[in-house]
Amino acid sequence: MEENNEMTYTQAVTELEQLVAKMQDPQCSIDNLTAYTKRSKELLDICRKKLTQADEQLKQILADLQNPG
Amino acid sequence: MQQPSLFSPQQQGIKLSEFNDRIATVINGSRALQRQWVVAETSDVRVVRGHCYMELVEKDDRGNMVAKVSAVAWSSVFAALNNKFSQVTGSPIKTGMKVLVQATANYHPQYGFKVVINDIDPKYTVGDMERQRQEIIDRLTREGVIDMNKQLPWTLVPQRIAIISAAGAAGYGDFMNQLQNNPYGLQFYTCLFPASMQGNQTVPTVLAALDRINQHIDLFDCVVIIRGGGATSELNSFDNYDLAFTIANFPLPVIVGIGHERDVTVLDYVAAMRVKTPTAAAEWLIQQGSNELTRINDMQEAVVSTVRDTVGRASEHLAYFTSMIPATAHRIIDTNRVKLDSYAKNIPLVAGNLILSQRNRLERAVERLGDAVASALQREQQRLQALDDKVTLLSPLNTLRRGYALVRVGDKCVTAASQLQQGDRVTMQFADSAATATIDQPINQ
Repeated sequence: MEENNEMTYTQAVTELEQLVAKMQDPQCSIDNLTAYTKRSKELLDICRKKLTQADEQLKQILADLQNPG
Repeated sequence: MQQPSLFSPQQQGIKLSEFNDRIATVINGSRALQRQWVVAETSDVRVVRGHCYMELVEKDDRGNMVAKVSAVAWSSVFAALNNKFSQVTGSPIKTGMKVLVQATANYHPQYGFKVVINDIDPKYTVGDMERQRQEIIDRLTREGVIDMNKQLPWTLVPQRIAIISAAGAAGYGDFMNQLQNNPYGLQFYTCLFPASMQGNQTVPTVLAALDRINQHIDLFDCVVIIRGGGATSELNSFDNYDLAFTIANFPLPVIVGIGHERDVTVLDYVAAMRVKTPTAAAEWLIQQGSNELTRINDMQEAVVSTVRDTVGRASEHLAYFTSMIPATAHRIIDTNRVKLDSYAKNIPLVAGNLILSQRNRLERAVERLGDAVASALQREQQRLQALDDKVTLLSPLNTLRRGYALVRVGDKCVTAASQLQQGDRVTMQFADSAATATIDQPINQ
C-alpha cells in the first residue's frame, strides 16, 4: 500500500466519490462489487486517518519552524 | 533743559508682565476665540500626568503644513473625552487623526499661548477613518486585487495553519485551545509567526510574518491573522494599504479574525475568510473538518447500503428465477403436449392418406405386373417352342430311325472302333429299342 500512503486527502476522497457513484450505478455488476467494496474501505481508512491521526513528522517540522535554534 | 542721556530710554516702557497681561486680556477676552469648533489633524500626541498634549496642524493638498498650534486637553476633561472618543471610533486619540475639537485660545502671561481642548466630536474622525478605508478599498478595487485572495481554492480540510498573532495574547490562547480540543478528534498542525498586533509596529511586524510564511508556503494550507481578548480595540492600524495589498496577493487563503462584531477593517474586505473573533476562526476550521468527516461517514453508509441493496436485488432475482422454473417447465411441457396431441390427431389422417396413395400405387403396380407376367410367359413359351423344335431336330432318335444305331459300352458311347476290344459287350440302341452284342474281332483299317 505504498501508493496509498502517498495519496492526499483530496485524491483519496475524490476516488472514493467516483467509486461510490460506480457502485450506485444500476449497471454495476455484482461481480465487481467485492473489489469495489474492498477499495472503498481502504479509501475510507485513508481519509479518516488523514483527518484524525497525527503526522508526527509534520508536527516536528512546524515545531522547529516556530522555535528555531 | 536737560539733555537726554545717551543711555536713558526715549520712551517710557511697560513691564513684560503688563504686556503679557494685555495679550491675555485681548486673547482670553475675545469671544471669537472661545469654544470654537476647529477641524485639524493631530500630531505628536502624548499624555503626561493625565494631561494630553499635542500639536494641531493643517496641511494643504500636497501635504505641506500651513498652520500649527500647540494644544492640550487637561486631565479634568481628557479621561472622559478619550473614553467617549474610543467608544465611537474604536481607537484612543492619537497622532495622525483628523479631528473636530472645540477649542479655546488661552494665553497665560507666564506659560505662553496654548489652545485648550474642551470637547471633541468623534463622529468626524469616524467619518474620516471610513473615508480613508474607502479610499484604500477603492484603490485595491481599481488595481484589480481586492478579490484575489478570496478567489484562491481552499484545500478540502485546511489542517496546516500558519498563525499570525501576538504570542501571549488571549485570542491566540483561545484559538489554540479551541482547535486542540475539538470534539471530532480532528488533527490541526499550527505554527505561530509572532507579530505586534497594536500600535505603529503592527504593519511592519505583520508584513514580516507574512514574508516568513511565504518562504515556507508548501507547509501550510492557510494563514490565520488573529487578535482579540483585549477590551480596547485599536484597529485602524490594520487600515493600511500595504498590508491589505500583501494579503490580497498572498498565495494562501487568509482568515482574518482581528476584531469584534462592529469593527471592520480593510483586511476584512481582502481576506479569503472574515470572522469576528479568534474563537470563530477556530470554529470555522473545525467546521470544515467536521463537514468532511460527515461526508466520509455518508459515503461509508452509501457503500454499505449499496452493497446490501445490490446483493439483495441479486437474491431477489435469483429467487424470482427459482420460482419461475417450475411454472416455466410446466408451460413448456403443456405447449409441447398440445403440439403432440395435434400430431397424434393428425397421424391417422396422414397415415390413412399415405396408405391409400400407396395402395393405389400398389394396385397400379399389380396391374402392370399381370401384364408383364403374361407377356413374359408368352415370350418364354415361344422360346421354349423354338428350343423344342431345335431339340427335336437334333435328337439322335431321328438319326436312329434312319437306320443308325448307337453303340455303348456300359454308359459310354462308342464313337470309334478303336475303343472296342475283343469280348466287349456292347449295347446297340435303335430307334425303337436296344439289343446287346459281343465284339468278336475289332477290325483295324
